[in-house]
Parts: sequence; structure tokens; C-alpha cells
Amino acid sequence: MTGFANFGAALWELATFTTLFHVTWATLLGIFVGSLPGLTATMGVALLTTLTYTMDRDAAILVLLCMYVGAIYGGSRSAILLNIPGTPASAATALDGFPLAQQGRAGYAMGLATAGSAFGTLIGIILLVMLAPPLAEAALKFGSYEFFWLALFGIVISGQLTGGSSPLKGYIAGMLGLMVAMVGSDGIHSHVRLTGGWGELNGGIGLIPAMVGAFGFAEVLSVMWQSVPQMANGKSKGSSLPALVDLWRYRLTIVRSGVIGTLVGIIPGVGEDIGAWASYAAARRKSPERDQFGKGSTEGLTAAETGNSAVVPGALIPALTLAVPGSAPAAVLIAALFIHGIRPGPMIMLEAPTFIYSVAAMMVFATIAIGVFGVALTPLFIQVLRIPRAWLMPVVFTLCVIGPYALTQRIFDIWVMVAFGIIGFLMRQMNYPVAPLVLGIILGDLLDKSLRRGLILSDGDVTAFFTRPISAGFAIIIATSIILSIGPVRRFVAARNPFTRKARG
Amino acid sequence: MRLDSARADRITAVVLIAMGLVMLWAGYTMDRLEIRRIHPSSIPGLVPMMLGVGICICAVFLFLGARDPDDPPPAASWRNMLIAGVWSGLFALLMVGNLPFYAATAIYVAGFVIIFDTGLPPVKRAVIGCVFGILAAGIIGALFRYAFLVRLP
Repeated sequence: MTGFANFGAALWELATFTTLFHVTWATLLGIFVGSLPGLTATMGVALLTTLTYTMDRDAAILVLLCMYVGAIYGGSRSAILLNIPGTPASAATALDGFPLAQQGRAGYAMGLATAGSAFGTLIGIILLVMLAPPLAEAALKFGSYEFFWLALFGIVISGQLTGGSSPLKGYIAGMLGLMVAMVGSDGIHSHVRLTGGWGELNGGIGLIPAMVGAFGFAEVLSVMWQSVPQMANGKSKGSSLPALVDLWRYRLTIVRSGVIGTLVGIIPGVGEDIGAWASYAAARRKSPERDQFGKGSTEGLTAAETGNSAVVPGALIPALTLAVPGSAPAAVLIAALFIHGIRPGPMIMLEAPTFIYSVAAMMVFATIAIGVFGVALTPLFIQVLRIPRAWLMPVVFTLCVIGPYALTQRIFDIWVMVAFGIIGFLMRQMNYPVAPLVLGIILGDLLDKSLRRGLILSDGDVTAFFTRPISAGFAIIIATSIILSIGPVRRFVAARNPFTRKARG
Repeated sequence: MRLDSARADRITAVVLIAMGLVMLWAGYTMDRLEIRRIHPSSIPGLVPMMLGVGICICAVFLFLGARDPDDPPPAASWRNMLIAGVWSGLFALLMVGNLPFYAATAIYVAGFVIIFDTGLPPVKRAVIGCVFGILAAGIIGALFRYAFLVRLP
């Protein structure tokens, strides 16, 4: 109960005019970013991070969290109205949201999506308050062996789940990220590695320029590459307030999707889109109206939106307690926390004991804001979707240029941003997920240092990595995941899986 | 050639194998810091060597498993992407740092609108593009210069 008392105290402390001001503009900006196809939550958080350098710590974290929550929610606007997910997290939303819009129920669908997002985030926040402190305490028992496996676990699981039908491409993306992380001064002996004599690389490749490039510039190129999206049904008819009776009817779906979304969020580097699909699939399996899914099911829409929004607090659980991001935007948040003097990881409950509760309280404010704006500003967002890309994209790219520069005042970081933008665009075209690449850049240092420290402690004996209980558990999960991702093995297991057989039969 | 085709995957696999071998070689030949008497298991080249081997193994599987996609290619404009990429690259790599930031941004934004907003007549497009470019440069520049105290390039 102490946790919830601390949470209540954090809520009270944050209830100021300044907080409300920041929540208002940052959540609105987040919904704006999320609703525009081509602007993702990761890009929004990365760009906004560059605008928070001069803010005080709490205000900076608050606006970044509002951007994150708002952008994930905002993706549902274009998914419902245009059948184009504003962010990848809203792909499942489009399946039922767009048919509802075609039936002339766009307003109602957006209202239901708003309610689903708000409830999903709230369920995730409750689980964040309950799970993060004990997890941080448990993580204090982690040594070099466990951290090595944790970093590897993040790369493997993220690669597998975001790689879709080709986990191999996810693994490759993760390894490329690890290779990028090896450039520059090493974390144990400060020996400069793989720079080719280029002095600018001695400090390594900056995470913020790399992420702004991979998610920002790559998005600009992708948007310009795509054909111009057409407005399918821009007219919002019907009330945007969801009927309470519908929400009550779907209470089990909401709770289930919220829990699934949060648990997906906890898995390193997986993200909101997987949370939405997992919740959608679970709702479909349990629903008596499963034949309506994909044709305008309000239950399907609720499940998808609840699931993707619940991932947001879920992704912060490992990010805050282990410094391992649960999603790509959470990865940027980790970088932002370091910039603002917070060291995420097992020591967080000792160094900043109330910070986790403050984060939860900030997300409550963001949730209230999406609830209010989602219902009140639906017509405005329909207009927002009409901004031509020829006007929007150069502004986005200018921010991509000046943002990374503002942090270090180095022109070199602009070059890094451009290079990662091209790499990110090519990866998308070739069906490589970008999230494992970013996770690799973040976790590379942890993996490298933990492996070598562990080997020093065991005097070069690798069996020490397999004999401690948590390490052995991680090793078994990683080995099983890799084996199950091999094509023939996966097909063999699928053929003997009763759920798969039932679905086919 | 589609970038998600089997041929593209095979070419990528070859590039990745080359990268993996370079990484393995770089890790193997990296200074082992014997002069500082570090533990032999903590040499800086250890993880780069492992990554080199790992990426080579993955690349071999990628080469062997390369398959053409079943779905048709999406409707897309490579021309638009290339023009946008080159114009943005010129702005980021040449204009920024050599021209005052306000001027570089105004030229870039105005150019982008003039090139891509094809729904308007040419003269109107040029006027609107220039006005929008100057406004965007002023707002973004002032935001970073005065609100966030950044010394602009």
C-alpha cells in the first residue's frame, strides 16, 4: 500500500498550474504527431527531447511522457478515418475502426478508441506502480552475468517479435545495433575501438542523432516515397462519446487487453504494435462475435486501442528499473532521463525513490488529457489530417537537423543523423525492423561490459554464465527462442500446436 | 529491383559477410593492452570478434533463405523520394554550417514546397512557398535561439 500512498502524494504534488500547462500542450502535440501518418511516437519523443534540454527535470520528463501517451493514442485518428495507421501501433485499430467509419460511425469509433486508450493506460499505470518497485529491488541482485543475459535477451526477443515472418532480419538488425555501439571508447579500459582514426567517433555514435535519423529522416523519405494517401471518409458522424453500456459490456476485454498490453510492454524492445495485435487476437479468440472482427467490431477496436496504450506504462517498467527499454520511444526516454540527471536502472529506488511514482502520476495527467481532447477535439483532428506533406515534411526535417545539433553543437551529429536516416529507410524497404537496431545501440555497452566483467570475475570461466539461477533461466529462454525461430522447427511446432490446428481446421 | 526481393537479400548477405569478416579481423588485431596487464578475458576486441562471427552466421542463413515476396510491390514514387532525399541532404550537409541557419532553412523549406506542392499554379506556389519558408525558418530559428538558448549553426 505504501506504493499507492506514494503515488497519491506524487499526484498531489504535480497538481499545479504549470503541470497542467505542460500537459495540455505536450499531449496536444503528441496527438497531432501520432495522428499524422509518417510521424511516429518515437520520432515525436526524440524530437521533443531536443527541445527539453533547458527545462527542469520534472517538466522535461512530463512533456516527453505526454508526447508518448498522446502520440500512441493519436495514431488511432488516421487509422479510423483514413485506414492509414498514424503510428505502427494503430495498425490493428484500422482493421475495425475504418469499417466503422465507412458505416458513418467515425465519431463513435474515435470515442470508443479514446475510452479504450484511457483505460489501457490506466491499467498499465496501476501495474507500473505495483511491479516497478519490486522489480527494481530484485534487479539489485543482478550481477554482470545476469546483465549480460538480460541485454542479449532484449536483442533476441525484440528481433524475434519485431522481425515478423523473418526473425533472422530482426536478429541482424539487433547485431548491427550492437556493432554501432562498439564504436568509440570502450567501457572498461577506455580503449578507442573501430573509429578508423576519426577523432569525432572517439566518444561513440550518439544515440539521439542516430534515433532522430532512423525514425525522423527515414520517415520523411518513406512518406515522400509513398503515394499520396487519400481521405476515405473524413466526415465524422455520430456522437464521439462512447456509450457507457458498451464500455461495461467490454469490461473483461478492456481488463484483459490492458494486462496483455502491459506485459508485452515489459518485454524489451517489442513495442505498442505487438501489444495491440496480441490484445486483438486474445479478444477475438474469446469473443462470441468473432465473425464481426475485421468488419467493424467495436470490441475489436476497443481491444486494439486498450492493448497499444497499455504498452506505454508497461514499456517504462523495464526502462526505469533495468535501463532496458520496453519499446522504441522508451529507448529515447532512457536517453532523455540520462540527459536530465536521472540514472534509470536497479539503483533508481535508492537514488530517486519517488521518481517511479512521479512518472506514474505524470501519465495519469496525460491520460486525462487524451480523454478530454479525444472527445472534444475530434473535428479539429480531422482538419489536421489534411495538412499537405509538402508543407509538413520540410519542417520535420529541419527539426531533425537542428535537434541533434542543439545537444552537442557538433555538425558531425547532423551527418550521423543523415547517415542513420538513409540506413533506416533502406532497412524499412528491405523489411528489417528498426527497433532492434536502436535497442542494440542502447544495450551494446551493457552487454560488452557485463560479458567482460563477468569473465574477469570468473577468471575466464564461461560456465559461470550458466550456473546462477537467473542466468540459467535467461540462457534457456534465449536458446529456446532462437531454436523456435528456425523455419522447419517453427513449422513442426505449429503443426502440433492444438490452437493453430483449431484455427486452421 | 525491389529492395525486399531475394536478389536484394543475397546482395545484403554478401555485404554483411564482408562486414562480419572486417569486424572479426578488427577485433582480432585490436590492441590487447598487455602493457597495462589487463585480464586476457577482458580484451577490447572480444565482443567485436563475437559480433563478426554472429553476423556472418546470420548472413549465411539470409543468403540461403532468400525468397521473393508474395505480395505485389506497393504504389510508390522513387523519384519523389530521391528528390526529397537529395534536397534534404544538400540542406543538412552543405547549407547548414555554410549559410546562416535562418537563410538555409528558408531556402530549404521554400524549395521543398515549390517542388512538391504540385496542386497549386506555379507563381502562386512560388509565392506561398517563399512566405512559408521564411515563416518556418523564423519560428524554428527563434524557438531554438531564444527559447532553448542554442547557438545556431
